[in-house]
Amino acid sequence: MQVDTLIIGSGIAATALAQRLLDKNRNASILLLEAGSHVMTRDSALWENYLVTGNLPYDQFKDLNYPQKDKPGENANIGGTEVPLAGSRVITVGGSTIHWGGWSFRLKPEDFKLRTNTGFGIDWPISYSDLESYYGEAEHYIGISGDSDDPSVPRSRKYPFSPFPFSLQDQPVARALEALNIPYGNVPIARYGVGENNQNQVPCQTTGTCKYCPFGSRFNATDRLSDMISSNEYQNFNIISGAVVEEIVITSKSQIGGVIYLDKASGKLIQVDAQRVVIAAGSIESAKLLLRSTSPDWKKGLGNDSDIVGRNLVTHPYFIFTGTIKENPLQLQPEMNFPTLCTRHFDSSAEQGAGKFILVNPADTVPVKLASQMHSGMMRDGLNSYVSGPNQVQLHGMIEVFGELHNRVTNFPSRNHLGMFETSVDFTKDSNFDIRMGQIQEHVDKIFQNMGAQIVGKPSISWRADHAASVCRMSNDPASGVLDKNLQVFGLDNLFVCSNAAFSSIGAVNPTLTLTALAIRLGDYLANE
Amino acid sequence: MQPTKSQHPLSATLAPLDDAIRDAMWELFVQIGKFWKNIDDPSEHKPRVYSFMENRIALDPMYRDYYITANNVIKQLVDQYGEVEGYHHLFTDPDAMKSPPATPLALTRQKVSNEFVSLQLAVGGFKAFGAKNYCGFIGGAYVPSAPVPYRTMENHDAG
Repeated sequence: MQVDTLIIGSGIAATALAQRLLDKNRNASILLLEAGSHVMTRDSALWENYLVTGNLPYDQFKDLNYPQKDKPGENANIGGTEVPLAGSRVITVGGSTIHWGGWSFRLKPEDFKLRTNTGFGIDWPISYSDLESYYGEAEHYIGISGDSDDPSVPRSRKYPFSPFPFSLQDQPVARALEALNIPYGNVPIARYGVGENNQNQVPCQTTGTCKYCPFGSRFNATDRLSDMISSNEYQNFNIISGAVVEEIVITSKSQIGGVIYLDKASGKLIQVDAQRVVIAAGSIESAKLLLRSTSPDWKKGLGNDSDIVGRNLVTHPYFIFTGTIKENPLQLQPEMNFPTLCTRHFDSSAEQGAGKFILVNPADTVPVKLASQMHSGMMRDGLNSYVSGPNQVQLHGMIEVFGELHNRVTNFPSRNHLGMFETSVDFTKDSNFDIRMGQIQEHVDKIFQNMGAQIVGKPSISWRADHAASVCRMSNDPASGVLDKNLQVFGLDNLFVCSNAAFSSIGAVNPTLTLTALAIRLGDYLANE
Repeated sequence: MQPTKSQHPLSATLAPLDDAIRDAMWELFVQIGKFWKNIDDPSEHKPRVYSFMENRIALDPMYRDYYITANNVIKQLVDQYGEVEGYHHLFTDPDAMKSPPATPLALTRQKVSNEFVSLQLAVGGFKAFGAKNYCGFIGGAYVPSAPVPYRTMENHDAG
């Protein structure tokens, strides 16, 4: 088998890149190899099953938990801080966009100058202005509803769809933020609106079951790939699922020739020759594939002469602060399944060294659960008191952490339940992290006090690897990174990485929009090569 | 090509539910509204309830037996306690919530009645508790200049 462009993975990066290349040349020869399976989307029976049971049709395609004393699992966590893989990603055609929340923030200009401004990590080899127009393209490609007049992020193009108005659930926290002179804004969210939809995009019906939308109203690459294939416009564009790429075929110090993949259905190893290969298999798998692709010229793995591949692992600690309220007179309760209000902090070169953070008012900030109360047999009078009475409020958020060499992912020498090499995660939070969280807690406590809420203890913090990044980071030189400014592996003419692994740093916001912008930019670069 | 609709391979060969079973399950849905006083006239939801049952059976053929069992359980409860008390028993008996369900009553509560409660809330039962939208309710698109399909800060402030 031979193709011009071989893309490993089929998530948003692979899809956006393929689309860009096909926009330039509809006959482009492109093959996507996906380790996972196809999950049916926009199916009413699966949607109703999720509605009444909470079970998702792709749960089986997530990592298992780490092994426990009396329970087998998979992968290995060997660092001082547990970074769960289970739940962080979905191995399917379309990748993790099948379950993503759709929060689509841009990084800000100072994020690209982290080293210069703070002394931590490294600078990106590109600037915000290099990426700005691609951010706009990514927002239109994904279909983002957002506030085009938000002055805090420079932009040259409007969002395709208007922002969703602040929900009534936002009112208490918005009033508190106003009292404290803290600015807040809309969450830019991947939900189709009205105005720019193509024929396959149904505007969000605010159905609130966003993890499985019956209409496909939130971008997922699964649907986009299905549409691309079924359009019959692209004769040389193909996807093979159930294909676990074992290694990159290395032909010389500066050239690769393709890949060898395991066809899970037949158990056979199959070689695909390619003019160029783009690894778009998610952050962790990108690094692992480079590490296990060796040759006499690349004894430590492709692009790994400086022993950087797999290192500098970062992710976003996701924290949840909980408070109690004595009454809920507005009968606040979850009316949707996505947030509408957020507030970003330390977004300046002077402050970012303390670690940027973002606070988000979650859609279930007052977690009224009518169904479970009725299931348990609560009567109507009890329900009335339950809805209006004492309850909880929550604020969620993420904080930026900086890359450190000792935090890394590597291949673990066994296979997971999906036929892929397991992962060894070695991560230990930095010694100042708890101090920084304490400072954020003081900040949140003021907000809660203004809301009339009483903060409850310390926040819960999850280091789950949803936003794992930087393990093949872009850099200005191969001593401190794996990729150059065009996502090309240093020292190799025809190998690229397009995943969160490429991020030089991650800021405090979800990486998907930035990744999509990078993918579209890479498409332009490859098309012009 | 991928299949266009989910279906368990054993479900395709099952006979459709008898009308009597379907009617009994519809009556269960009606009784949920009466018990919790959250939907006065549920008749517009009848097609949705029927399609819901078909979808449940399509995904899992056991649901056909769950609905048949539920019909028998409800008949027995109504015969024993009368209509109002029979459904009260079904909706509130704590023993019926023990997991895993080991009795016909528990199966009926957990696999049929409680699922109907979730569906009933999602098609509109939630409105009795103060909200305008709910997870599972097809609230409609947000169209600028048209009413927003959920309660907003702005509309509330404007009264």
